[in-house]
Amino acid sequence: MSGPPSIAIAPHRFAYGFYPQTWWNWLIGSAFFFGEIGAGLFLVSLLGDHALGMLVGYLIVMIGKNTSHLLYLGRPERFWRAAMRPDRSWIARGIWATGIFGITGAMLLLPRWFSLGWQPQGALNSAVIWMAGLSALFIMFYDGLVMNMSAAIPFWDTGLLPLLCLTYAALGGTTLSLTLRELTGEGAAVPVMLVQTEYILLLTNLVLLGLYLAHIRSWAPAARETVRMLLRGRYAPVFLGLVLAVGLVATLLLALVHSRMHATWLVVLIAACELIGDFALLMVLLKAGLFSSQTAPAYRSD
Amino acid sequence: MARLGLVIDLKRCIGCNACTLACKQENGTPAGIHFARVITREVGTYPKTRRTFLPVLCNHCDDAPCAQACPSGATYVREDGIVMADKSVCIGCRACAVACPYMNRHFVERGLLAHGYSGDGVSPLEAIKFTDFEEGTMTKCTLCAHRVDQGLEPACVVTCPTDARIFGDLEPEDGRLRQLIRQRKGWTLLPEAQTRPSVYYLDE
Repeated sequence: MSGPPSIAIAPHRFAYGFYPQTWWNWLIGSAFFFGEIGAGLFLVSLLGDHALGMLVGYLIVMIGKNTSHLLYLGRPERFWRAAMRPDRSWIARGIWATGIFGITGAMLLLPRWFSLGWQPQGALNSAVIWMAGLSALFIMFYDGLVMNMSAAIPFWDTGLLPLLCLTYAALGGTTLSLTLRELTGEGAAVPVMLVQTEYILLLTNLVLLGLYLAHIRSWAPAARETVRMLLRGRYAPVFLGLVLAVGLVATLLLALVHSRMHATWLVVLIAACELIGDFALLMVLLKAGLFSSQTAPAYRSD
Repeated sequence: MARLGLVIDLKRCIGCNACTLACKQENGTPAGIHFARVITREVGTYPKTRRTFLPVLCNHCDDAPCAQACPSGATYVREDGIVMADKSVCIGCRACAVACPYMNRHFVERGLLAHGYSGDGVSPLEAIKFTDFEEGTMTKCTLCAHRVDQGLEPACVVTCPTDARIFGDLEPEDGRLRQLIRQRKGWTLLPEAQTRPSVYYLDE
């Protein structure tokens, strides 16, 4: 990490250098964000049998994530075609998982919120709960696999990426679950395990982020340049400021303060900090992705 | 089964970008989209400097990551190894562009086909050529499949004034392309990406 980079960002496609990933923008970042926190909230609420959390998580996924995806597509009217190749594409598998989540989630939620006179019973009920839970779990981390599949961008080419998405989704879900319980007056009855999970996930994410950067630094030159941009370059304010300082450190400190001084506004502030960090991380993951430079072996300086 | 490809002799390339222009003329690509381009780089330190040229185009990879990433099946590989994109099936998710290590996928933005290079409506030629594109979808080099199907060579190959591009079948071990690759130690771009490109380069 010492000295200037040997290869610069190419100013255009006829120039030599690293090409920045410009295809997937903030709409894809939003879709991943809503998918992660919505599915995370749904799963945490399913495990804790919290009906409101399940409903909010479900709506975040079905409205927030799906709308963002549709707005991004060049041909949204053909969206259904994205499900055609689950045998090879993680995007297609994600569509299937979201579809299963939509159906099974609705089967769980509709009888709870409306008097339909019907609700799944016995084995069917168990199957619906399992399918809803597993599809939510898949939605929590599959965006990491979608990015990870692109070996073209070395910064994403690590198995730690889906894991990072999963732990961030779990953290977002736990934070939102705690916030919802606080806002609906159930703050005093929050399970201790949920609060402990929040602490554990904050520390886990901090460690995972460090591991991710340390691991990827030894990767291809494009990944090293990305790490440099995150720590000292144009994305340092977002990464160090929003992802690390606000999203993890401030959230952790505020959570510790909250354990001694209970206040609703503090819980909302914790949630805001955590969600800002979560969204900022997804955005820098997308924006800081670089393609490797292309050149003849004889002229390689990397 | 054939595996069509190219061998590009960098010793012959003079960086004139005739291939870039021939491709644009043949395919009528909209503004900002170049199926073929020449990456230029300055190497050395003053006063011993030189410019190197690297003509690039879709590598028509044998193990095409763009085809694997495509969730709709719009990107597919023909029997002869040419990687194609079906605009009527493409949903515009740009997964292929993110998956291509060579940055050779292109997105036809909304409104791009409404104006040509003059910026003042489309010319009669553009009006014909632009029917091959659809806004909101991905497009790519087809190795001039429409010419190849007629027994012709791609436009970039026939235009190259220094004969730096050699087009043919990579499959036969005793074929011209394979012999050149063997004799002159041909290499491909980003071999670490493990895409098995069908475009080889010679610089020895």
